[in-house]
Amino acid sequence: MPAPLLTIRDLHIAFTSDKKEVPAVNGVDLTIYAGQTVAIVGESGSGKSTTAHAIIDLLPGTGHVTSGSIEFQGNDLTKADDATMESIRGSKIGLVPQDPMSNLNPLYKVGSQVKEVVEVNDIADPGEADARVIELLEEAGLNNAAERAAQYPHEYSGGMRQRALIAAGLAARPELLIADEPTSALDVTVQRQILDHMNSLTDELGVALLLITHDLGLAAERADHLIVMYKGNVVESGPALEILQNPRHPYSKRLISSAPSLRSHRIAVEEREEVREAAETVAQEAEEAVAHPHVIRARDLTKEFPVRAGALGRKIGFTAVDSVSFDLERGTTSAIVGESGSGKSTVARMVLGLLEPTSGSVEFDGKNIAGLRTGAGQLDFRRRVQPVFQNPYASLDPMYPIFRSIEEPLVVHKVGSRSEREKKVRDLLDKVSLPAGVMSRYPNELSGGQRQRVAIARALALEPEVVVLDEAVSALDVLVQAQILGLLAELQADLGLSYLFITHDLAVVKQIADQVIVMEKGRVVEQSSAAGVFESPQEAYTRELLAAIPGAGIDLAS
Amino acid sequence: MWGYIARRLLQTIPVVLGATLLIYAMVFLQPGDPIVALFGEKPVSETARAQIEAQYHLDQPFIVQWLLFLKGAMVGDFGLSYSGQPVSDLIARALPVTFQLAFMALVIEAVLGVIAGFYAGLRRGKIFDSTMLVVSLIVIAIPIFVLGFTMQLVFGVQLGWVPPTVGGNVTFTNLVLPAVVLGLVSFAYVLRLTRTSVIENLGADHVRTALAHGVPRTQVNRRHVLRNSMIPVVTYLGADLGTLMGGAVVTEGIFNINGIGNLAYQAILRGENPTVVSVVTVMVLIYVVMSLLVDLLYAALDPRIRYV
Amino acid sequence: MSDPTASAEQPLPGQNHFVADIEQTPLEATGTVDTTEAPKSQWKEAWKVLKGNWLFWVSAVLLLFILVIVIVPGLFSGVDPRSADLSKSLQGPQSGHPFGFDKQGYDVYSRVIHGARASVVVGLLTTIIVMIIGIITGALAGYYGRWVDAFVSRVTDIFFAIPLLLAAIVGLSALNNIWPDRGYWGGVIAVVIALAAFGWPQFTRIARGAVLEIKHLEFVDASKAIGSSQMKTLFSHIIPNSLAPVIVTATVSLGVYIVAEATLSFLGIGLPSSIVSWGNDIAAAQSQVRTGSNLHVLLFPAGGLALTVLSFMLLGDAVRDALDPKVRK
Repeated sequence: MPAPLLTIRDLHIAFTSDKKEVPAVNGVDLTIYAGQTVAIVGESGSGKSTTAHAIIDLLPGTGHVTSGSIEFQGNDLTKADDATMESIRGSKIGLVPQDPMSNLNPLYKVGSQVKEVVEVNDIADPGEADARVIELLEEAGLNNAAERAAQYPHEYSGGMRQRALIAAGLAARPELLIADEPTSALDVTVQRQILDHMNSLTDELGVALLLITHDLGLAAERADHLIVMYKGNVVESGPALEILQNPRHPYSKRLISSAPSLRSHRIAVEEREEVREAAETVAQEAEEAVAHPHVIRARDLTKEFPVRAGALGRKIGFTAVDSVSFDLERGTTSAIVGESGSGKSTVARMVLGLLEPTSGSVEFDGKNIAGLRTGAGQLDFRRRVQPVFQNPYASLDPMYPIFRSIEEPLVVHKVGSRSEREKKVRDLLDKVSLPAGVMSRYPNELSGGQRQRVAIARALALEPEVVVLDEAVSALDVLVQAQILGLLAELQADLGLSYLFITHDLAVVKQIADQVIVMEKGRVVEQSSAAGVFESPQEAYTRELLAAIPGAGIDLAS
Repeated sequence: MWGYIARRLLQTIPVVLGATLLIYAMVFLQPGDPIVALFGEKPVSETARAQIEAQYHLDQPFIVQWLLFLKGAMVGDFGLSYSGQPVSDLIARALPVTFQLAFMALVIEAVLGVIAGFYAGLRRGKIFDSTMLVVSLIVIAIPIFVLGFTMQLVFGVQLGWVPPTVGGNVTFTNLVLPAVVLGLVSFAYVLRLTRTSVIENLGADHVRTALAHGVPRTQVNRRHVLRNSMIPVVTYLGADLGTLMGGAVVTEGIFNINGIGNLAYQAILRGENPTVVSVVTVMVLIYVVMSLLVDLLYAALDPRIRYV
Repeated sequence: MSDPTASAEQPLPGQNHFVADIEQTPLEATGTVDTTEAPKSQWKEAWKVLKGNWLFWVSAVLLLFILVIVIVPGLFSGVDPRSADLSKSLQGPQSGHPFGFDKQGYDVYSRVIHGARASVVVGLLTTIIVMIIGIITGALAGYYGRWVDAFVSRVTDIFFAIPLLLAAIVGLSALNNIWPDRGYWGGVIAVVIALAAFGWPQFTRIARGAVLEIKHLEFVDASKAIGSSQMKTLFSHIIPNSLAPVIVTATVSLGVYIVAEATLSFLGIGLPSSIVSWGNDIAAAQSQVRTGSNLHVLLFPAGGLALTVLSFMLLGDAVRDALDPKVRK
C-alpha cells in the first residue's frame, strides 16, 4: 500500500472582514498519491481555489487556515515556518496559475523569469542555467524556444504564456503540480493542446496533478479521482467515473445534468423542435402582413479598424470582419461561433447599429439599417432590436436601482404613465423569474445570474422582435447558465423572439441554435443548420472546435 | 520611434505658441514702462521716448509684439531688459543655479521618497507606515515657506550649520538646505505614490506566482514588487523637475538665491514684461522637453509600451 | 462505461466514494435576494466604509468646527482683528489674549479666527469652479474623442506647460492692474480666478480618464441600444459613474489651493494686506521672528492653516479609501 503524497484533513479556511471571520472552506478532506491526477470541481465561490492556495500557504489577503492539517510527505504544512514553505514551493510543489495574462511579470523577458525559478531552486549549474531554460521551454511545447526566451510576455499569445508558466511550474521537477483553472482563460482549441501537453508531461515525469476546474467535462476526462465542492464543503468525492455515472449528492447530480459539454449529447432534440415551432407560430401571427421571413439579413459585412504603424504613424487598416453574410429567420436562433479575434462581437455590434460597417449592409425587416440612424426610424429600430451583453457585472449601470434600469427604455420611448410602467416592470421581472422585491435593489446586490436576468428583462421591455445575445451566458456558472438558456428558450416560444446568439462555446450552441455560423479570423468558414454542423462538419476548423469540447467522449448513465 | 518623436515635437508647437500667447496676453494687461525704469523721474524728450518705445515695440499692436518676440526667441534673442541688459544673459546666469537646485531637490526626494514609500507599502498598516503617512500629510499641509523659514531659522541661524542665505555664493553645500526645502512637498507625494504602487503590486498575480515558484520573499519584493512600482514614480519624478523649477520662487526668495524664480518674480513686481515672458517661455520649453523625455522613459521602463 | 476494470478497481485509502450528509449541505436556491437589509447604492456602500474610518470622523469634526469659525467668527472672538494697540507690540500670550500680540499690536487670536474665512473660501470656491470646468471639458473630450479630444488635450497642455505658481503670480499682477481697489470679496475672487484659471486642466485630465474607462462598459452600449441620445447617455450614465476619482482629487486639491493662496499672499501678490488672512499674517510674521524669539506670531496663523489643510487631506484620504475599491482591499 503506497503512502499518500498529500493528505488534507478537515481543513477550515476563513477570511477576516470588518474584524469578523467569514468562513470560506469548511472541512475539506483530500488525499493524493504520487503520480495521480485529482480534480476539484466547483463553481465560483465554492472554495476550490482557496483550498489549493492554502496548500502552498499563499492565501490571498486576510485568508488563513483556522483548523485542520495539510500533510505533505509527512510534514504538516499548516505548521511549517516561512523558510520551510519557501523550500517546498517550486521545488516540491509547483503551480500553474489561472490567468496566463496576469501571471508573468510584464517587465521581464520570459526566459529570465524561468531562469529565476531555475536559479532559486538550484536545479542547474550557474553556467548552464540559460541552456536549461531553453530546454524547459522546449519541453513545454514552445517552438523556437531560444528566440522566445528573449521575448517579453506581451509578445506571446495566451497559450504560449501558459506554456511558459507550465515550464516554470515543472522546472524543479516537483512531486505535486497544482493547476488552478489552467486553461479557462484560453480559446477551446488551445485549451485542449495545453491540457494534453501538461498531462503527458506530468505522466512522463511521474508528477501528481491537482487540477482545479469549474468544468466537469474537463475534470472527468483527465482525473482519476474527483472532489466536488459546493459553498466551502466537499459534497461528494470518489473515483471520477463512478461519480459521473452514479452521482449521489443532489448538487453533483445537478452539476452533471447542467454541464453543457456533457449534456449536449443527450439534449432532447424534439424539445427544441417544439420550442422553435411555437416561436415561429407566434412570430407569424404577430407579423402576418410582413413579407420578410428573414428578419435580419447581413450582406458582405466588412469592418476595418485603423491601426497605427510605420514611421510618422501612418494608419493602415486591420480587417476585423471580412464580407460576412447570413440570414436570421424570424422566430429562430442563429448562433455565431468563434474564438477570440474571430470578429463575432464586431458583427453583433454592426447588427445592433452601434458600429458602422466599412462596407456591406445589415437589413432589418427589409430595410437597410444604415438609413435608420436618426429620428423615428432610429427609435423604431431600437425598439425592435435589443442586446444582452456578456458581462453581467458591466451591463447594468451600477448607480441605477433595478427598477430604473428596466424602466429606462420605456421612459426613452415614452411608453405609458409612471404607474403603467411600474406594472410593466413587475411583469417583466415575473417573466424572468425574479421577485418584485429586487426592484429597489442595486446591481451589486445581485448575483451574476440574477443580473443577467435583469438585463434580459430590460431587453424585453420594449417587446422587441430580435434579441442579440453577445456571449450572454459565457460569464456564468454552469448551473446558472443552464437556467438562463432554459429561460431564453421559454421566452422565445412565448414571445416569438428571434435570437442572434454570439458565443465561443459550441457546447452551448448545440442546446439553443437552429442555424450555426462558424467564424475564424473575421471570415465565415462554415454556415449551416445546427444538425449539419454537429453531425457532418465540412471544414477542418469546425471539426477542431468540436473535438475540443471537453468531456465529449464520456458516456453517462442516464 | 523616430516617427513618434517627430509627431510629438509637432504637437508641442501649438503648446509653445499657445502658452507664450497666453502669458503675453496677461502681461499685456499690465503694461510695463521702460521709460520709468530707465530714466526714473527725469524728463525725457519726445524723440527719445518714441525711440525707446520703438525699441521695445511698444508702438506695435499686441499680436505684432508677440510675433516679434517669437521671431527673436527662435534664435535665442529675448530682447533687452528695461535695465538694458540682454534678457538671454540674465536667464543664462540664473538658469544653471535653479537647475542645480531643482536637480538636487529631485535626487533627495527620489531617494528618500522611494525608500520610505517602499517600506511603508511592505509594512502596510504597521507603525512605520502610519508614521510615514502622517509625516507626508503634515509636510503637504504646512506651506513650504513656513517650513523653509523654520528650517532656515533652526539650521542656519541657531545651529549655524549652514549659512542662512546663499546670495551669490552658490556651492553644493550651500544649496543642500534649500534643496531639502524645495523637495519636501514632492518627497511626500513620491512617498505616497510609491506606497500605493507597492501595495497594488504586492497583490499582483505574477507576484504570487513567483512566490509559488519558490522565489524567496525578499527577492520577489526587490525584483518584482519594487521594480514594477517604479514606473509611475519615475514618470512622476520626470514631470516634477519642471514643477520644481517653476516652484523655486518661494525657496529662492527665502534663501536669497539668484535663480530663475527670483528673476521672474522680481520682473513681475517691476513690470519688466520682456523678462517675464522670456522666463516663462524657457519654463514652457523645459516642461515640453521633460514630458517628451518622460514618455520615452516610460517606454524604456515598460516593454509593453512601444511608440510607433 | 465500456471499461469494467476502472470501476472495479479498489480505491486507495482516503479515496473511497464519499457523499456529504445532504442535511448538512443543502442546495440553496440560486434566485434568492436578501430583502432583510435596505438596498445598497454605491454611495451608501461608500458611506458605510467611510463611517467605519476614524480618520474620517477626526477630519469631519475638525472641518465642521472650522466651517463654524468661517461663517460666524464673532462666536469665538469679540476682539476686532483690525484694532492695533502698539503698546502691546509682540507681547506673549496672556489672559484674554491667548495667542498674544504681533508687532503692530494686533490680537493674534482674533486674527487667526477671522483669517480662516479668506483661506477656506478661496479653497472651496476654486475647487468648485475647477471641478465644474474639469468635468465638462474632460467628459466631452473623453466621450466624443477625435477633434474634440485633440483640441481639449492641446489646450490643457498649454495651461499645464506654464508653472502654476508663476502663472498665478502673472495673472494676479495683471488683475491688480485692471481691477485695483476691489475690497474684501473682490480680493478673494481675484485669487480664486488666478488659481482656477490654471488649476482646471488637472481635473479635465482626471475626468477624461474616468470617462474613457466608463465609456467602453456595456451599460453605455445598452443605453445607446435603447435609443437614448448621446447627450442623455453622457449625462445620465457616463458622468455620474466617473465622479468618484474627481471627488477624491477635489478633497485633496482643496487643501492644496489653500496652501497656494497662502503662498501667493506670502509673496505679497495674493490677498491685499488689508484683508485679514493667514497667508498675510504668516508673511508679516516672518520679519518679526527673524531673531528666533516671538515664535507665537508665526506659530498660530501657520498652525491654523496647517490644521485646516491637514483636515482636508485626511478627508481626502478617507474618501479615497471609501470610493476606490483597489485601495480598499
